[in-house]
This record gives sequence, structure tokens and C-alpha cells, in this order.
Amino acid sequence: MSGQVASSTPSAGSAQKSSTSTAPLMIEVKGLRKSYGPITAIRDINFSVRKGEVVGFLGPNGAGKSTTMKIITGAMAPTDGSVKVSGYDVFEDPIEVKRRIGYLPENPPVYSEMNVESYLRFVAQLKGVAAANVGVQVERAIEKTDLGSVRRRLIANLSKGFRQRVGIAQALVSNPDVLILDEPTSGLDPRQVAEVRSLIQELKGEHTIILSTHILPEVQEMCERIIIINRGQIVAEDSLAGLTERMQHSRSGLEVSVRLARPSEAVTRALSDVAGVSSVRLDAGIYKVQLSVNQLDAVEKLAEAAVATRAGLLELQHQAFDLEDIFLKLTANDDQAAVAAGGAQ
Amino acid sequence: MKSWIRGTWVLAAKDLRNLFLSPLFYIITGLCTIVWTLVYFLSLQEFASQATMAQFGGPQGGPNLHFVVFAKHVSIVNLVMIFAVSALSMRLFTEEKRAGTMPLLLTSPVSATQITLGKFKAGVAAAWALLAISAVYPVSLAVYSSIEWGPLATSYLGLMLVVACYVGVGMFASSLTDNTVVSVIMALILNVLLWFVGALSEASPGGAANAVFEHLNFGAHFVNFIKGSLSVASIVFFASVMALAVFLTQRVVESARWR
Repeated sequence: MSGQVASSTPSAGSAQKSSTSTAPLMIEVKGLRKSYGPITAIRDINFSVRKGEVVGFLGPNGAGKSTTMKIITGAMAPTDGSVKVSGYDVFEDPIEVKRRIGYLPENPPVYSEMNVESYLRFVAQLKGVAAANVGVQVERAIEKTDLGSVRRRLIANLSKGFRQRVGIAQALVSNPDVLILDEPTSGLDPRQVAEVRSLIQELKGEHTIILSTHILPEVQEMCERIIIINRGQIVAEDSLAGLTERMQHSRSGLEVSVRLARPSEAVTRALSDVAGVSSVRLDAGIYKVQLSVNQLDAVEKLAEAAVATRAGLLELQHQAFDLEDIFLKLTANDDQAAVAAGGAQ
Repeated sequence: MKSWIRGTWVLAAKDLRNLFLSPLFYIITGLCTIVWTLVYFLSLQEFASQATMAQFGGPQGGPNLHFVVFAKHVSIVNLVMIFAVSALSMRLFTEEKRAGTMPLLLTSPVSATQITLGKFKAGVAAAWALLAISAVYPVSLAVYSSIEWGPLATSYLGLMLVVACYVGVGMFASSLTDNTVVSVIMALILNVLLWFVGALSEASPGGAANAVFEHLNFGAHFVNFIKGSLSVASIVFFASVMALAVFLTQRVVESARWR
């Protein structure tokens, strides 16, 4: 995985951050711990989400994402710690909290003997939508999740993708302040995944959203802030730009791959002579250039040199750390993970 | 308070609707009517032969329609209902757990009490619908003869109460497991046991234990209704059994959050 040199990302990230930093806190999670007998599923989870933010929960399977989400929604009680949603404690005012939350569990909670419309109508009523508004809200949810074509079909006869969308519609139907989506795009085809992504883009700002996934590009695209959980603990929490930046600082230099139409010995020498380049190696027609300094102007010089060789520059790619690298690094090794977490706080 | 009641009704209406949409209710109804029709036909024949004998100057006067036909019908309905209601109520909670819809209920602004009461109401409504079908048999006789409505009405009130107890027990059994087979077997055993608690009074003649078991005797309470008498003690007894079942189920539902 590699990304083009994208100097705009950090500034966009900070702009988003500043727009939400004044918003009130919507979700506050403090010192959350959950043990199942001797097994501790999560320990010491602390984070907060501001109104209108979209936060991505990342982590390998079994890391504690779903457990954390279940506790926030009140479906499960923690062993220790507290959760507040828009000022209400989940355990002292569970009804008030649940009025404000739409939750999509891992498996869409649908009744297969009902049809889509009557199911959504039931959920709207259950969530306490005023009787006069039920119809309007159901229409809105159907429209947003594009379920119009199957509204009269029995849920039992729907494909997995449609069921998943019914699950998302169900979370939306009460127009809640907070949306907790546990793997919203699982089971969807690529086009539907794109639709869900744009739906989430559309919902953000209006709703506060926490979503979990292990599909990395999804978080990259949708979330302003990423929380990486491994073995029940938060190992990193930052914006994507912040995480990328931090990872890059932790690495000594950049690697740039350069593809030229006519590679030759002379070109190799020319590239090696650029200031800041420590090594050049030709790998399957692509030059892998290692820079000793971690600076973008070195990349710029390299690009100039590559053009100057007149060997036909086809592609120049700066191997930025992407989310996958970050994810793998943070979740692969416990010691490293602890160091990264220390850096985050 | 208004929204509290609404939440319960929304849940009950959903369960009832899904029950009537599934073939289960109709299969059970069909099987029940086979048994009821057969037994009712036989007891009518019995009544006819007794009546014929009375015409030829039998010693004890004419047979009593209520005791020869209706009382037998009521006890057969009761017996069949033990099985039918156990089967009707087996899915109340197991189905939610199997389909993964329990998280939806647990994260909706309704309490465990509302969830339980909603299920109980739906189960009772379905069981009473089945009772209403069984009432067609005695009521249809009113076309051909004059019948004693009073004892028939109290018998059916008794049935309504007893059947609601079965629903409570079945619902409790279904809250304990996510396997419908286990749920229905557990419900059956518990419902049959209800009728044997009273038998323990014979095993403990005299003393406080005897009096306690005497009060817990399902049969003794139910017989009052068949005889045409309404006793507050019996109504309170059946209501307490329901309340206990609802309470225990509510505890199980609530505890789901803690597991």
C-alpha cells in the first residue's frame, strides 16, 4: 500500500479537528473494564467523542471493539468504569441514553418474518418516536439506505447485503444523536460499501458516529479520528494525519519508488547523487530510493533529478506510512504497541 | 407512564403479529381442534345415551349437560393447553436470542420489565385466542338447547387464568435457553409439575406443610371454577403464580446485561 505525496492531508485533518474541538462532549468513556471470569476482554478504556465527530474503532478480531460498543449502548454492563452519553450515565439513566442511541450490532437485529417497512415501523415505535413522526422517519431511513425496492419484501428473503442495510436503517430510524455501528459494511458488495460510506459522510456533523471495522481504507475515508484497540487496550488514538505523522517521525527516512521508462546505469548514478539519498536499488524496473532525511524537499529534488535524466519518468511514489502499516505495527507487537500508546497520550 | 405502557404494547403487538404470521400458531390450533372435536363428540354421545336412558325412567333424573359434556371439555382443553401453550411460548425469548434481536431490545429505551410484560401479554393473547376457539364447542350447543351460562363462564375464567400461568412458566423457560427444544421440554415439565405440587399435601399429612401444599394445589383451585364458584383466593393464587413467573423472567432478562 502506498500513497501519493499528499501534503494536503495534514492541513485538512487539522481543519476538521478545529471545527469539532469546540463542540460539546457527546460520549465520555472512563476507565472501562470488562472481565468474563478470568478473561479480561477490555481494560482501562478511556476516550471521549465530541458532537458531530466520526470516530473509527480499529483492531484485530477479539480486540474488544464489540464489547466496548455493547457497553456504550447499554446492552452490557462493564465490570468497572463509567460511560456517559450526552451527559447521561448509561447505568443510572439507561432509558435516556438509549433514546439517543442507534445501534447496529455485529449481526443485523432483524425479524425474518416481518417485511422491511413494518420492521422499521416497529423499531421506530420501540425507540419512542412520536406516533405522528413514525411514518416520516421510516420513509427517511428507507430513502437513506436505498431500501425502497424491497420495502414490502420479507426480511427472510433478503440477501445479506440488504439485511445489513436494513440493520443500518434500523439504527437510523429514530434519528438518534449517536450512532454506534459495529462493522456497518460487512457483507456488502463494493458498490454498496461505497454507498454506506457516502451515507456516513452525509450523516456526520448531524450525528455523532462511532464505527468499528477492520477494513482500513474505510476508516481512512470516513473517520476524523481513529482509535486502535489491541488486546482490550487502546494503543493509539489520533487523527489519521496525526498517526501518519507520528509514525513517520519514528522512522529514520523515507522510501521513494521511481518508475522510469528507460532505466540505466547512468540514471542510477544520477539518482544516487541527489542530496539526501542514501541508497538506490533497482527492483523489477522500479528504483527504490532510500532517503536519509525525512523531508519532502528531498523528494522534490529527487523528482527534479529524475526528470533531468530524460529517462522518461512515469511514476514517482513516496512510500508514506498508511493506516495498514500503522495498524500492523501497533497490533503486531505488544512492546511496540505500548510505546506507541505512550506517545499518543 | 403513558410512554411506559406504549413501549410494552409495541413489544406485545410485534410478538403477537409475528406469532400469527408464523405457521406455528396454526399448526398448534389445528392439532388442538382434532383432539377437542374427538373428545367433544364422544362426550355428546355419552350425554345422548344417558338422556335416552333417563327417558325410560332412570332413577336419577336427566343427565347434567354441564358436568357430562362441558366439564369434560374444559378438563380436556386444560390438558391440551399444557402442551399447546408450552409450544406457543417456547419461542418468546429463544427466538430473539437465536435471531440476534436481543441486542435491539436491550438497547432500546424499554426496561427489562417492559420487555417481559410485553412478551407475557403477547403469549397470553395468543393462548386466549386458542381458548376462544375451544369455546366455540360449548357455545355452539346454545343453538340447539338452553345451556347454563354461569358455570360455563366461570369454567372459562378458570381456564383463562390457568393458561396465563402456563404462558408465564413457558416464557420463563424460554428466557433460560436459546434452544427452542430445550425451552419447550422445560416448559412442559414445569407446567406438569404445577399440577403435582398439590399432591405433596398427601405425602405430608397434617401440620403446616400440609396446609401450604393444600393452598398450592392447582387442581383444587381449578375445580372451584368448574363447579361454577368464584373464589377470590383462587384468583389471587393464579395471579400470584403469573406474577412470580413474570418476576423470575424479568430477573433473567435483566441479568443478560451482566453476563
